Amino acid sequence: MTKSPVWLSERVQWIGALDPDMRSFDIILKTPNGTTYNAYAVRGSDGVAVVDTVKAECADQFFERLEAVARYDEIKVIILNHLEPDHTGALPELMRRAPQAKLYISQSAQLMIKALLNQQDVEFTSVGTGDTISLGDRTLKFLHTPYLHWPDTQCTYLEEECILFSGDVFGCHFCDERLFNDKVGDFRFAFEYYYAHIMRPFREHVINALQLIEPLPINIIAPTHGPILRDKPTSYIQRYRDLSGQGLQSEVNADEKTLLIFYISAYGSTTQMARMIRDGAEQVAGVRASLYDMEGGDSDLFVDLVEDADGILIGSPTINGDAVKPAWDLVSSFAKINVKGKLAGAFGSFGWSGEAVRMLEDRMRGLKMRLPLDGVRIKLIPSLDELEQCRKYGQEAGEHLMGVNAPRVIDMATLLASRKELIN
Amino acid sequence: MAKAKVTFSDVNVTVNVPVGTRIIEISEAVGSYIAYNCREGDCGVCLFEVIKGKENMSAISKEEKAVLLARYQEIMDGWRATKDIDALQAKMQRENFIGKNCRLACQTQVFGDVVVAPL
Repeated sequence: MTKSPVWLSERVQWIGALDPDMRSFDIILKTPNGTTYNAYAVRGSDGVAVVDTVKAECADQFFERLEAVARYDEIKVIILNHLEPDHTGALPELMRRAPQAKLYISQSAQLMIKALLNQQDVEFTSVGTGDTISLGDRTLKFLHTPYLHWPDTQCTYLEEECILFSGDVFGCHFCDERLFNDKVGDFRFAFEYYYAHIMRPFREHVINALQLIEPLPINIIAPTHGPILRDKPTSYIQRYRDLSGQGLQSEVNADEKTLLIFYISAYGSTTQMARMIRDGAEQVAGVRASLYDMEGGDSDLFVDLVEDADGILIGSPTINGDAVKPAWDLVSSFAKINVKGKLAGAFGSFGWSGEAVRMLEDRMRGLKMRLPLDGVRIKLIPSLDELEQCRKYGQEAGEHLMGVNAPRVIDMATLLASRKELIN
Repeated sequence: MAKAKVTFSDVNVTVNVPVGTRIIEISEAVGSYIAYNCREGDCGVCLFEVIKGKENMSAISKEEKAVLLARYQEIMDGWRATKDIDALQAKMQRENFIGKNCRLACQTQVFGDVVVAPL
């Protein structure tokens, strides 16, 4: 393909880069046909704005296309919707070539830009929702849309043409030189996959951003990765609305809280524990507890439940000094959603070492879940007393969930000694 | 040794501690939901709210203040979900958010009775 720019409208051109050979993005994402780094040039009667740049390795393509649409001294404005290096790799060189251009970033990007450029005295203007820049007969307006998918992300809207430069929002890893959604190959899977892996952990922020975006008239959505959405652009906004919404309506009442108890068991001991914990939790008014045997499902299925739940307990036996794989798979899947602040705990039976419970607890604590209780560990077959311990644990978990747990006073030395005992 | 009481209101637990104890030394052991990343005052993740007894805490250092300022925008964004961002912003300015009601758990030492909660 010749490295020429592509027209979106009379005043807007795509000046991005194609990266068809990329297979694994940011380590965590796969792509079967590469990606694009989309950057755009907007020409107004008073100058040119460059919206985002490209990855450093693809800078040659970007500058070749940019030079075909504008002289460097015409560039008045550089807008960065997102500071991740795949969109800012060409920025230092662009700033050298167009030193007069003013940098516009979101309010939350101010510390990041200094770290990115390793330059404390970098000049920029930080903007938020409602701020505008005039290019004479063209006006760019900002939307503060943080955490999609970094703290700094924002969108920029070209008012006169109803074009939304959306950053990574509505993007996907799909490389097709035909560029527009009505010309490229079927990229729907890539759009869904990108949402699931990049945007889903920030569901609340997606909903906030949609409230800003939905009222705007939209002719074209111009994201930083993948096809430019000019055919039925609002259907992609609607898809985000659907994906960020609830599935089936929940049958849980507003004054109830849900506790999901996942377990897996080799000889039935951890199963017995799980049942007693459920019974204990159910004694607390307002708790809706459910049991799931991890042997009968997988984390892809369970993660949807966890996303909506208030509390999660995981029961795993210890095998070879570790929790078992289905338990780790479930905890790994939490990275796809937001579990911060959910109540969590672990429990399990063991034969002769029993590390699983503390390991699972530490991992969930690391995910910033809330672990007010030390989980129950039982050697081999639970006795009646030990089952009572499980019931009590379930009840206390339920009380914490509902915020009705009894006050407790403890000396620091006792507290820390009991922790040490638990760990050893 | 002189003692102080630290109450974590989210888990309803009070710990009797020697004066000079840092919040970070006990908050995880009681299961309070104050989260940590760096544990040395750089990242600002362990921000917590002082409900009672701010006068019984160590003075805020210049470094802690800088980290609190950096977290300010992020907190505001998190609270955007409350939908009334303007009222919230005004309230925070009025109440002098930094150093008054919010501190870092890895930095703050306790010299008397306090009540704290995760933010």
